[in-house]
Amino acid sequence: MTVEHSGGTGTPEPATVRPAAGDPTDTAPTDGAQPEDLNKGPRRVLATLYGIFALAAVSRAGVQISTRFDDAPLAYSLSLLSGLVYVAATVGLTTTRSWSRPLAWTACAVELVGVLVIGTLSLLDKAAFPHDTVWSRFGSGYLFIPVILPLLGLGWLFATRHRGEVPTQVAES
Amino acid sequence: MITPLAMTLLGIGLLLAAWTGLQAYRRRPANAPQIVTAIALTAALAVQSVIGWFRMTADIPHDRVTFIAYSIGILLPLPLGIWVARLERTRWGSIALCFTAVVVAVMTLRLHQLWQAGS
Repeated sequence: MTVEHSGGTGTPEPATVRPAAGDPTDTAPTDGAQPEDLNKGPRRVLATLYGIFALAAVSRAGVQISTRFDDAPLAYSLSLLSGLVYVAATVGLTTTRSWSRPLAWTACAVELVGVLVIGTLSLLDKAAFPHDTVWSRFGSGYLFIPVILPLLGLGWLFATRHRGEVPTQVAES
Repeated sequence: MITPLAMTLLGIGLLLAAWTGLQAYRRRPANAPQIVTAIALTAALAVQSVIGWFRMTADIPHDRVTFIAYSIGILLPLPLGIWVARLERTRWGSIALCFTAVVVAVMTLRLHQLWQAGS
């Protein structure tokens, strides 16, 4: 494996000298602050986060709906909805079609509204939400990641809004 | 489930998260030892899941569907993190692997709770 040398210690990296990035065969440590990486690296990390949450929320909703849907139809339907929103965001972040960014914008916005509304309602009206969803209490059961994730997603979409089409070299992801 | 094994895997997951987190802080891509650790942890988690299935009884765990879903789901985040870390040879690959290691540690804890709740 050619990556071993990159893990070595003690290589001084002055902030002003930044190694060239962009060559996919370049295994040298690269600086995450490269403009190009702002589009590629963070997008891959966000896609990883959303992918795991899509899997978690859809699985959770699947178990809840298939085994005890009648206990809390509202909460379990919301679980499924949140799962589908995570799937939509994941698709928007991992594809490079013309509809990818609009889809990601929509999914992140719906997610933010959802987690804020459900989070608030679950605190105000406990009777309506006796069973937890991913969004209950602002996602406290999931380390509050459900409320942080849409902010990161929207922040990234906003920061990269002037780039238009996603660069072609990221299409392999 | 075997408690010492679960706690060991939980600890390894957290250590891997700290290690790759430090790597990301130092603006470096995930290195070979980290990838190898993640692969080994995935293999160990698979062994743990299989042990869990064989040790299931009528009463333990109480919520068998959720337990089985978790025991399968816990095997998925790390391969995803490894794939992203290999694809993304920057600090962002390290961040992805760090996050998936945290997820696996939390899921190990949850898996253990589900088992304990039935015993």
